[in-house]
Amino acid sequence: MNRFVLRHGTQSLFALLCLLVLVFFLARLTGDPTDLYLPMDASLEQRAAFAESHGFNDPLVVQFGRYLAGLARFDFGDSLFQGRPAIDAVLAAFPVTLKLAGITLALALSLAILIGSLAAWRPRSVFDRIASMLTIASASAPDFWVAIVAILVFAVSLGWLPTSGMGTAAHWIMPVGVLMVRPLGLLTQIVRAAMIGALASPYVKTARAKGAGKSRIIFVHGLRNAMLTVVTVAGDQAATLINGAVVVETVFGWPGIGNLMIQAIQQRDFAVLQACILVTALAIFVMNLLIDIAYSRLDPRIRNA
Amino acid sequence: MSLGWRLLLAAAAALPAVSPAWAQGASTDVVIVLETQPDQLDPCQASKSQVGKVIKQNVVETVTEIDPTTGQVNPRLATEWSQVDDHTWRFKLREGVSFHDGTPFNAEALKHSIERTMDESIDCEIRVKYFGGLTLEVTPVGDYEVEIKTSTPTPILPTLMGTVVAMSTATPKGEITRDPIGTGPYRLEEWTPGQQIVLTRTDDYWGDQPAVTKATYIWRSESTVRAAMVASGEADIAPNIAVQDATDPEMDFSFLNSETSRLRIDAEIPPLDDRRVRLALNYATDREGMRGTIFSDKVIPSTQHVVPGINGHNPDLVPYPYDPEKAMELLAEAKADGVPVDREIILIGRHNLYPNSQESLQALEAMYEAVGFNITLKMTEAAEWYDLLFKPYAEDRAPNLFQEQHDNNNGDAVFTIFVKYHSDGGQSTFSDAEVDDLIDRGGQATGEERTKLYQQAFKRIHEEIVPDVSLFHMVGFTRVNPRLDFTPSIATNSELQLAEIGFNNS
Repeated sequence: MNRFVLRHGTQSLFALLCLLVLVFFLARLTGDPTDLYLPMDASLEQRAAFAESHGFNDPLVVQFGRYLAGLARFDFGDSLFQGRPAIDAVLAAFPVTLKLAGITLALALSLAILIGSLAAWRPRSVFDRIASMLTIASASAPDFWVAIVAILVFAVSLGWLPTSGMGTAAHWIMPVGVLMVRPLGLLTQIVRAAMIGALASPYVKTARAKGAGKSRIIFVHGLRNAMLTVVTVAGDQAATLINGAVVVETVFGWPGIGNLMIQAIQQRDFAVLQACILVTALAIFVMNLLIDIAYSRLDPRIRNA
Repeated sequence: MSLGWRLLLAAAAALPAVSPAWAQGASTDVVIVLETQPDQLDPCQASKSQVGKVIKQNVVETVTEIDPTTGQVNPRLATEWSQVDDHTWRFKLREGVSFHDGTPFNAEALKHSIERTMDESIDCEIRVKYFGGLTLEVTPVGDYEVEIKTSTPTPILPTLMGTVVAMSTATPKGEITRDPIGTGPYRLEEWTPGQQIVLTRTDDYWGDQPAVTKATYIWRSESTVRAAMVASGEADIAPNIAVQDATDPEMDFSFLNSETSRLRIDAEIPPLDDRRVRLALNYATDREGMRGTIFSDKVIPSTQHVVPGINGHNPDLVPYPYDPEKAMELLAEAKADGVPVDREIILIGRHNLYPNSQESLQALEAMYEAVGFNITLKMTEAAEWYDLLFKPYAEDRAPNLFQEQHDNNNGDAVFTIFVKYHSDGGQSTFSDAEVDDLIDRGGQATGEERTKLYQQAFKRIHEEIVPDVSLFHMVGFTRVNPRLDFTPSIATNSELQLAEIGFNNS
């Protein structure tokens, strides 16, 4: 187990470093934030002075050196627009997204396992057909549209839920619901397919012949073997959830990392953008590590590969 | 909008409305939902609209106050002022005013405020936007009077003082503060970045006690969501909602928002360096065709880049009529003289500059191609758009028409005319000695003469130079909860005075 995890860990760490370099230089290729920061009527001299005083005129390599030197001291730089350390802004936003994505994924995974397994029990049954149709529809629904329609229906017309914002448990229902729509559809399809494969395998036939109950066959014999694929896809989905969170956080006004990152990109607030990406990448790095560990738990063959 | 979307909306509208549980109780607290959160709340950034909407005249107050409908300068923290000589002004200050930290507002405090605003080590927008190239020397004359010396004669200093806010001497110099301490009727109670800002009413304001006791500011970037929040009672005011969300005449107010839209013509590059070609563009523009369709029916066809009411606006100018025949004649004439009228012209637009921004350019593209222009539409994001807005322009650029929108609600044309039309202006695309002279002399003049010089400049620009296709004076929509007695105005774009809000008895 250790060798497998270690090898994957080193690879991810290297990828993380490459990402840092890439983001630093790519972000700056588009220009500096002077024009976005200063008012439209600022003079050319004022623009030049601003760029000079913030170091945007230095060669990129010099700027990169400054960035690395800062990183070594755990100094991520200050947000140009917010006038506070970039890492403060990121660390305030990150838990919001983590909670949102975590709850969504846990719910989506549980529901997908339940619906997918039941659908796989008798493929082409009425339940399977209805479930497949709904999950394909949900896997292809654009979350932006779903979010706006949900607000108009549940908040404005029915008044059951608040339109947006955080606060009470009721505030969580729509964002989680909307964010869950796509992963739920996809994961259900994956669970169903993997379970159909698993349930057709010889050991399940043996279990059926022995007279094992339906739930025991599905959740003990079938599921454990189907889980390998499901865990892989769920891991992928967790990373994609961060993307989905951008839309959901924007529409519902959640102060999460997706919202912050979009804002940083639009403003060319480099320090915040870099800190966002670093923290997000680290989180995905840790998650991949956990998935690797889960793998080797689920399938003994991987441990020694 | 697709059919499915329409059906769903219709179904949603037909559902029974239930009194929402999230609406705040009837009280004198208000919730204001903005488009975007302010990044900073430093008093010296109060001219930024997102900062100004929260703190300007609520937490921090200006020295003088400009009436945005007439451009007139009124007293606020200064009660009267007079000019001593070309370079020197005296301002008498209101007595008995104190900051929220208990320190008195006096000549020393104003000196601190002005010096901090003019400090080049922080990027105060008030300095950059209104005081470029100007230095001020402030000397207290007694406790409640200051003398201000300007580096160049500045006849509109009282107008400029309408942008400068007073802040407590506890506000540190040389660094951005996150704690604005002003003299206004409200103090900053809470600021949770990303979530909300809360202002509460103070008990010892020098002026009348406003009706609103507490204001909570939140932000949602989607116009639909902002409008929905007021409709469901979760919020009271949603400034700047899109025209398609302003569907309820009971709640939605439209007003001229001091923005003017235009296409800037790059008059230095052939074929656009030929006046006939620029005129042809104007005659080929069907403004009436776009009004009430792509643009709101409330917009006003414009002739110049400042709105009526701004000092220097020339009311005698008339928009170019839609006359495609004439446009074609002018083009043919230019072509006969060897002007390369077939050359590809890039129409540069910006996504979401205003509602239906891209649609408006597609319409213009079609109108220009119909009379024989060769137009290619190119949409940009904000960052790229800004790069193209300012000089220096690329040497090898293609001839271009540049979509732009400009906002001036500071009472005087100076904030527009130099930048856009003077040959030294950062965004001008032509050089004309006579226009330069009128702008220069207007800048030094006062009173009626100033107005006249600027009006002459706008006349020459509109009729002789033709450096743009002036489109519309734009309107904004603000949704207001009917429980409030509040009418948004041209000023709502950059400030939202809580003191102007009352409550309807219900």
